[in-house]
Amino acid sequence: MKKLIALALCLCMVFAMTACQTTTSPSASTEPGAQPTGGSESPEAVETTGANALGDSDAMVYSSLYASEVSSLNYLIEGATNEQTVGANVIDTLVEYNSTAELVPGLAETWKCSEDGLTWTFHLRQGVMWYDYQGNPVAELTANDFVSAAKYVCDPANESATDYMILDLIAGASDYYDQVSAYYETLEEGAEMDDDASGADFGTVGIKAVDDYTLQYTTVDVYPFFPSCLTYVCYMPAYGPLLDELGQDFGTSNDKMYYCGAYILTEYEPQVKRTYEKNYQNWDADNVYITKLAQTYNAESSTLAPAMVLRGEIDYADIPTSMVDEWLQSYPEYLSKDRAVPDYSYFYCFNFRAGSGSPDRISTWEANGWEPANWDLAVSNANFRHAIMSAFDRDYSMYALEPDADARADVTQHTITPSTFTSVDGVDYSALPEFDNVDQYFYDEAKAAEYKAAAVEELTAMGVTLPVKMVISYRSDDSDWEQESILLKQQLESVLGTDFIVCELYGGPADGFRVEVRHNGMYGFMRCNWGADYEDPSTWAQPFAVDDSVRDSDGAVECNSYNDMDIALTVESDLTPILEAYYAKVDEAKAISDTAQRYSAFAQAEAMLIENAIVVPYFIFPSSYVATKLNIFEGQYAPCGVSNLRYKGQKVHDSYITMDEYEAAYDQWLVDMGTN
Amino acid sequence: MIRYISKRFLRAFITLFIILSVVFILVRQMPVEGYFPNYDKMSKAQIENGIRQLGLDQPMYVQLFRFFRDLLSGDLGISRVYRNNVAVTEILAPKIPLSLQLGSLALLVSLLAGLPMGVLMARHKGRFFDHLGTVFIVFIQAVPAAVYYLFIQLYGTEWMHIKMLFDASDWKSWILPVFSMSLGNIAYYAMWVRRYMVDELNKDYVQLARIKGLKSSKIMFRHVFRNAFVPMAQYLPTSFLNTVIGSIYIESLYSIPGMGGLLVDVIKRQDNAMVQAIVLLFATVGIIGLILGDLMMVILDPRISFGTKAGNR
Amino acid sequence: MAIFKHHAKIEALEKSLNESLSTALSEEEQFQFAEFDEAEVERSGYSNYSYWRSTLKMFSKNRIAMFLLVLMGALVVFTFIQPYLPGQIDYFQVNNDSTTGMPLRNVPPGDVVELTDGTQFRFILGSNNIGQDLWANIWAGTRTSLFIGVAVALVEATLGILVGVLWGYVRKLDFIFTELYNILDNIPTTIVLILVAYILQPSIGTLIFAMSLTGWIGMARFIRNQIIIIRDRDYNLASRCLGTPTYRVIFKNLLPYLISVIMLRMALSIPANIGYEVFITYIGLGLPATTASLGNLINVGRSLMLSPALRYQLIYPTIVLSIITISFYTIGNAFSDAADPKNHR
Repeated sequence: MKKLIALALCLCMVFAMTACQTTTSPSASTEPGAQPTGGSESPEAVETTGANALGDSDAMVYSSLYASEVSSLNYLIEGATNEQTVGANVIDTLVEYNSTAELVPGLAETWKCSEDGLTWTFHLRQGVMWYDYQGNPVAELTANDFVSAAKYVCDPANESATDYMILDLIAGASDYYDQVSAYYETLEEGAEMDDDASGADFGTVGIKAVDDYTLQYTTVDVYPFFPSCLTYVCYMPAYGPLLDELGQDFGTSNDKMYYCGAYILTEYEPQVKRTYEKNYQNWDADNVYITKLAQTYNAESSTLAPAMVLRGEIDYADIPTSMVDEWLQSYPEYLSKDRAVPDYSYFYCFNFRAGSGSPDRISTWEANGWEPANWDLAVSNANFRHAIMSAFDRDYSMYALEPDADARADVTQHTITPSTFTSVDGVDYSALPEFDNVDQYFYDEAKAAEYKAAAVEELTAMGVTLPVKMVISYRSDDSDWEQESILLKQQLESVLGTDFIVCELYGGPADGFRVEVRHNGMYGFMRCNWGADYEDPSTWAQPFAVDDSVRDSDGAVECNSYNDMDIALTVESDLTPILEAYYAKVDEAKAISDTAQRYSAFAQAEAMLIENAIVVPYFIFPSSYVATKLNIFEGQYAPCGVSNLRYKGQKVHDSYITMDEYEAAYDQWLVDMGTN
Repeated sequence: MIRYISKRFLRAFITLFIILSVVFILVRQMPVEGYFPNYDKMSKAQIENGIRQLGLDQPMYVQLFRFFRDLLSGDLGISRVYRNNVAVTEILAPKIPLSLQLGSLALLVSLLAGLPMGVLMARHKGRFFDHLGTVFIVFIQAVPAAVYYLFIQLYGTEWMHIKMLFDASDWKSWILPVFSMSLGNIAYYAMWVRRYMVDELNKDYVQLARIKGLKSSKIMFRHVFRNAFVPMAQYLPTSFLNTVIGSIYIESLYSIPGMGGLLVDVIKRQDNAMVQAIVLLFATVGIIGLILGDLMMVILDPRISFGTKAGNR
Repeated sequence: MAIFKHHAKIEALEKSLNESLSTALSEEEQFQFAEFDEAEVERSGYSNYSYWRSTLKMFSKNRIAMFLLVLMGALVVFTFIQPYLPGQIDYFQVNNDSTTGMPLRNVPPGDVVELTDGTQFRFILGSNNIGQDLWANIWAGTRTSLFIGVAVALVEATLGILVGVLWGYVRKLDFIFTELYNILDNIPTTIVLILVAYILQPSIGTLIFAMSLTGWIGMARFIRNQIIIIRDRDYNLASRCLGTPTYRVIFKNLLPYLISVIMLRMALSIPANIGYEVFITYIGLGLPATTASLGNLINVGRSLMLSPALRYQLIYPTIVLSIITISFYTIGNAFSDAADPKNHR
């Protein structure tokens, strides 16, 4: 009897397991997101109705792998580039950039600015439709959709990461936000957050739909660069009724949003795949060449993608720097480069308050032997900072990212605002005379020795113990950055000597790095970066801005601003007058509307940071090596915003771009850029 | 028997309750940023609002009570980071079947390959088959899976002329992942069976059976193998769970949207609701697996009865 | 990963010890009068059998195991003296090309390169892409990984014995420990490992803590079962009656019985722990990459596996790791055979 039971149980187990297979597989494929059958059928169904936006999807396919999944598709709230790539490709903006960084009409056909420079009026293209994920038209896009989207962004309950771009620039927006926020604080916990119930009136905010095709923005101040802001995600439209219906569920999957851009996200299975198909009904469909973007999730893509490119399974792969030499020899026909774009600038920052003053984190510093109090004292000394800045051979540490010397020279910057970002009267911003003096503070070993001698004397007088422990932090999953930090450590220690400075390397967490390391002050000297949001030098002052709202009265800092330079102001030191002068200068510059004078004032402020060795400009990210069938120069280009993320205008070439083709295209592009 | 089983299940529930409470308290020791995908760009007011809305300002026991209340009504919570604002159950639903399929296939393959291999090795003890098998077992244990999995994928797909990534609709693309997943267990089962059978072959009852004139193959399968299989059967359910959790390498290499890498992923992203749900799932499977294992052992081995505590084996 | 948890060898050895300890005698046998026999007294009165001597003798007969034991000993010693040998470069040091002053890139194994200080240096196993010496890195990594493996094994053994003895000997504690065991044993090891490794900052200490957290349970359970069987044996009862302190009963009468299983568990735990380190590194919760460890080296090497010219950066650390694993595995098995009294003739 027992034998029988035993046999039965064994069989049961095996069958149960194999049975899951047979019973569950159909249900898996009928999941709404999956539907491989539905996806292939819909294009045919389309032809009959005629209005469907999807067409023949085999014409030009671009397939690639990705290792990092987006947390949502909601372009109105997401703040990271990865998430914004979705919005950039499926939603059109009022204006857009062409391939040579000129602003051209997008959803708006024409626009003009009022006499006082405060009111911008946009006339919208008529007949633009919203489509669902299957390509069926839903409704016409009107000016109201821009207002609805802005209202959504300005609702504190939605926790938009990009709301500052509206709150800072649009008249009445931040007041509205504060009002709603105050109302929410009176609510019972768990109560539904409805901004309409707050009594705040969005009509007071400077975003208005005059009629269905006329949209009006009123800005806080005169911003000549305002149209460039409109290419950013938080100014994108969204279908109002859908926003009302879905609220926070908006954009959580591809059927929970509507599309008006060059592509429609027809398939979205998180950590499986994303498929974009061309919207044939798009107003600019003629300039959209790639008909299908097939993206497959693979956590090991950095390892597998190069092999898959060689087998012809995908059209794009990043080639890690460690493998470049070999590829140059073995597969030169596959290898080219990405364009270095000045939309992100990298610079080394000093941290002026170990652990940003929080007792918990200070004790972490102490536990690690990083001597937090000693660091705070030392870093306030100008000669100490200058010693490090002039001992810092940027070319050497950059070697970890870019083995080619010429390429390194190309991307190196001597200002925080990258060169070619903007210019005034034909002079590039970074070449303004205000920056003539900064060059003398960079790498020079002889000067480093002088600064060191001066610093040793002063630091000893201040009671600083030598050597000073300096924490160099990096993100632990970024092996290039880690190697850069290793090179930096070794180089600084060899120039200045370990009797003066000892560098401690700290690999911060891969997820939440910005908060854990930068905002929490878990570094001494670290590579930071900032991306431009619009075309004006003020965007580069933003990372250093004072953020009063988040300072606790007891000095412990829950920091939230991008780079916490202002933290140095919480304690009186040699730095205080310098920083106060800097902030005064920035405020002064912001109030100037004449471009030349405005730029000059911003340049003076920026130069103060560099000349006082508070920030060390570094580079725009060296263009990485890639194997790709896209000619990157055919795509949209802008020194700010999300335009560079768009596939519109790009073509999948028959073969991989070679280095020669890349160079030729690059030269041609430079010529084209020069002619505007 | 029923009393024994119900007692075991009661105990299992208590255990689950404790595990979940501990994990719940543990993940709440982590920074609050885990609840906000955009934490680093949010203002303080936004964060305070969010914390209040999620009830995180409440004392721990209140939070814990709510968690279990929701759990009993089938609400596992909402993912905040992994996929913003999507119900955890909705995320897990399509992943579980795939992991089950792969896991059970791998287990099946490893049993079908591992057991005969062990028997063969035992029968040919000290000869060529035994040595070959030993080399295989030693290789699997010594070389990190992360390395040989990658080799199998690269050269296997090339040799089979298939695509490198997994495609559920193409049966050919199942072969390599399942094979890779079962390798470890094949080695384990083969080793186990060989060892037990070699031990048992010296026992008196085997000698008796020989003297009685039973065929050697009959002795092997009817007597020796069964005795060797009993203790192993007990660990089968647990080993299934380990196969699923351990499939993280395979899933990342072949782009398989399963459960293996999910826990690591959500822990790293601090998605607390997801962490709890997955721990709950794995712990439940683990505990049920242990009970199943004990039951199987009782059923397979006449010498063990329900009366004695299964712990005292 | 879980291969080592319920190891066949351990099971077998435990079983055989159990059997030898719990031979059930029938009522009759226990109370039968024995006839007096001079010769039998003579024979049983003296025996030159020593458990440890026999174990050692058996073990030393296994040539492969002996060879591997010596190899492991030499390896451990070498990892410690390697940095002090002449002509060695610190594993962390970035070596620069004498002509460009920039770091060397992926020097192939065996190449001789002139460094910036003018010396000619032979990179025995090559370098990585910023000129760090792979040879030195592998030894430093082996040191770290072995340290982790041995430390965890020691913690597991100490904790396991301590808890096991308390659990088995102090009756009042039995219920609490049993319930605790039922809970802890139900949590999948991998989950504990991942959670702990994540919550704490990655460091050698963290890894040792996370790995030790679950491993001791099996050991404690085994010790407890044995002690329950032995503690009320006549000779222990006698010892207690004679006033022998409890600790002495435990250390002199109980533990020597169990030492072979304890050692086998430890020997198998070391390679398992090294494997765990590789796994944790793979999922991104491992040691900071600035600490050399076999896990880190293998992880870096994996990403270069597709390029044949750089594959050496994966192969060398893997070989070292494999040798260590095979050695401990073989030594452990040979030891368990040798420690089994049934094999003593």
